Amino acid sequence: MSLNSVINSTFQFVKDRFPVEKLNYHSMVEKKEVPVHKMSWGYYTGGLTMFFFMIQVVTGLFLLFYYQPTVSEANVSVEYINKYVAGGSLIRNMHAWSSSCMIFCAVLHLLTAFAMKSFVKPREITWIAGVLLLFITFTFGFTGYLLPWNQIAVNATKVGLQSIEYIGEYLPGQLADVPRIIRETFQGEASVGQSTLGRFYALHVVILPLTLVSLLGLHLLSVQIHGMSQGVDKPAKKSEKFMSIFIFKDLSLWAFIFLCLFTVSMCIPFESFLPYPLLAPYNPLGSTPAGIKPEWYFFFVYYPLEMLPFWVILLASMILVGVLILTPWIFKGASRKTLGFLTILASLYLVVMTIFGEQIYELFKH
Amino acid sequence: MTNTLLFIVLPYLAVFACVIGSIYRTRKEPMSYSSLSSQFLENHGLMWGSLPWHLGILLILLAHILAFVCPGFWQTLTSNQVLLLSIEAAGFGLSILCLVGLVILAIRRLTSPRIQAVTTPMDLFVIALLLAQVALGAAMAVHCKWGSAWCSGTTTPYLWSLLLFQPDLSTIEDLPLIAKSHIVCAWLFILIIPFSRLIHLFAVPLEYLFRPPQNVVWNNSRKLKEECSAFVAEDTRRHFLKAALGIGFGAFLLSVGTLNKVFNFFFGPRLSKKEETELMEVKLAHLESTVDQRKLELERQASNYIMVAALSELNQSSGKYFIDYQMQPAIAFKGKDGLPLLISAKCTHLGCTVGNKVDEQGRILCPCHVSYFNIETGQPNAEAPAKAPLGHLSWVIMDERGSILASRNLEGKTACSVNQQALANGKVYIAKSQEDKT
Repeated sequence: MSLNSVINSTFQFVKDRFPVEKLNYHSMVEKKEVPVHKMSWGYYTGGLTMFFFMIQVVTGLFLLFYYQPTVSEANVSVEYINKYVAGGSLIRNMHAWSSSCMIFCAVLHLLTAFAMKSFVKPREITWIAGVLLLFITFTFGFTGYLLPWNQIAVNATKVGLQSIEYIGEYLPGQLADVPRIIRETFQGEASVGQSTLGRFYALHVVILPLTLVSLLGLHLLSVQIHGMSQGVDKPAKKSEKFMSIFIFKDLSLWAFIFLCLFTVSMCIPFESFLPYPLLAPYNPLGSTPAGIKPEWYFFFVYYPLEMLPFWVILLASMILVGVLILTPWIFKGASRKTLGFLTILASLYLVVMTIFGEQIYELFKH
Repeated sequence: MTNTLLFIVLPYLAVFACVIGSIYRTRKEPMSYSSLSSQFLENHGLMWGSLPWHLGILLILLAHILAFVCPGFWQTLTSNQVLLLSIEAAGFGLSILCLVGLVILAIRRLTSPRIQAVTTPMDLFVIALLLAQVALGAAMAVHCKWGSAWCSGTTTPYLWSLLLFQPDLSTIEDLPLIAKSHIVCAWLFILIIPFSRLIHLFAVPLEYLFRPPQNVVWNNSRKLKEECSAFVAEDTRRHFLKAALGIGFGAFLLSVGTLNKVFNFFFGPRLSKKEETELMEVKLAHLESTVDQRKLELERQASNYIMVAALSELNQSSGKYFIDYQMQPAIAFKGKDGLPLLISAKCTHLGCTVGNKVDEQGRILCPCHVSYFNIETGQPNAEAPAKAPLGHLSWVIMDERGSILASRNLEGKTACSVNQQALANGKVYIAKSQEDKT
């Protein structure tokens, strides 16, 4: 293949994904139609994820006014928000609940998009941007978890970062040191301390949001250019206008979800499922309290990690990441039936591991 | 005598007449068992009169019935000052609403020629009596305040005594004239129920609340069409206005509430002196622990020996945490030989801090993923996720003058220059290794 043809095909690829003639309000918004069929609810999951992200941004900005990212002040400032600031505990609860909801919706969005085969040409870029967005969302969860600087936060972060170093055992020669260097780069010092907090804070409030917003822009732009994928094998007979039927339905759903989120945040503190010793301020000199575990959305990888040899998980996650990114090409020819079957398998695994992971782990251990 | 007549004879007579009369009337004249609607004779005034009147009187009557039927519950309600004030205010407001409605109804009945044609003297009497009764009630709310509270000691026992056929007037004898007239009027109402339009009290039209709106029109095709289209237009407009009003008001309340909260969030809390002190103490404690941490780090940079504990402080069952030269946690025990046993507390699995309590088998537990480490050998148990043993640390024991009494190096070789007695007063230190120095 000559250089010329490589350049040409690259241009053709970009041209197909971002057709300039469609880059206008008329074809991106006015003309857009959303198919109506039995999988139509899948079209709402992405918007809902974005809505939760918007809530995260707003509540996060609120929290930014009082949170102080230092080891001596972090926990006190969180306590201060909860106890003294007007509406502080509500805002913090909303931030926490909505973060979980955002991850849930993002995963749901991925699964539905996969089952509806919404990744085939010309939507590869949309899919890859979406996968990256999901990774960023998980990183948001991981970095945000440390910020309250309580026992569970710091200890879970320690375990999480230490797992990176474990990868080194499977790398040959000089490379074996690379994971340790990566870990120490994120950690900033020998153990999880002030430098780690500073780094995680910077990631959580500046770097990740900026990355997410720019990727989200790309994701949304390509969604609007190409319109909704048809989603089912037989083209739907009915469809509704994106502007203003679908968008109003979307907004009403957001309003309803906001009501639910607001009520839950008013009534149930997010941390009420954890025993207090885990929520006490981090004590660097004491022993690690029992029951350290990550947030529920990491259970699907955490409990297998506890039960199976590390290399199995490492291999599995590497394969998963590879498959996720290359999905548009791997599953190009797969039928929606196969995809639906795979989705159900994956969802079953996620649900079972998230809900019963702990029990399975106990069963395995004794 | 008058009291007996008005408060014992009249009530029984009224109830008796009401029950018998109502049954008789529903049997003999079932079609008259209603309020004899005049809606299709005159609609506009009826809406503005009947609606406020019924809205007000229904709520007021419900409150009266509640006070009579559940005196205990009512008393707890009215003994709360805020609730009492709310009840009184609501009662007075509702009675004004009733009065307005009644006046409009009365005017309508007196001015509209169509209504005049169907008006009986009894209707006028009912309206007059209602006006008087509501006015009396409102006057009581002003002149004999807190009626909702004092009724549970006066009228409620009186009514119960009548119900139990043991009439007792002692509780109401000394009531002011207004209150007495209010009671007498009430009995009069019960008396005239079967003889007037008030019989519609027994035809509680609850289904009206849930049925779609209906309109009574003349049976005349041209008029029918006109009225129907007018009705539809009116209904649409009413719906829109109602919705707009509701949404507007809701949005207004919401924005006031939200703005208030948002403002207060950014305004920040104003703490009381006590809260401020508490907060300062907590902050200081956190700062001090950070200072301690930094001091530990600096100490490890600067000094060649770090004190762990006095030998006498150590024991075999529960270890003392300390921080080694790498700023990692470690635990100091006393070994079986009476000499210190220093072991790293950083789990070799994922780096959690191991617990300091020794179990019966001489092991300490890492709580994160349940690894038991033998403190003598440092080895984890076979099933543990941790595979590598915890390392032991070297130590020296020095006396007050800083001369070394005993020491153990990393290979586990112990050197001891004095007897146990002399060691007892010594202090345990960890020494900086060559690596740490560079």
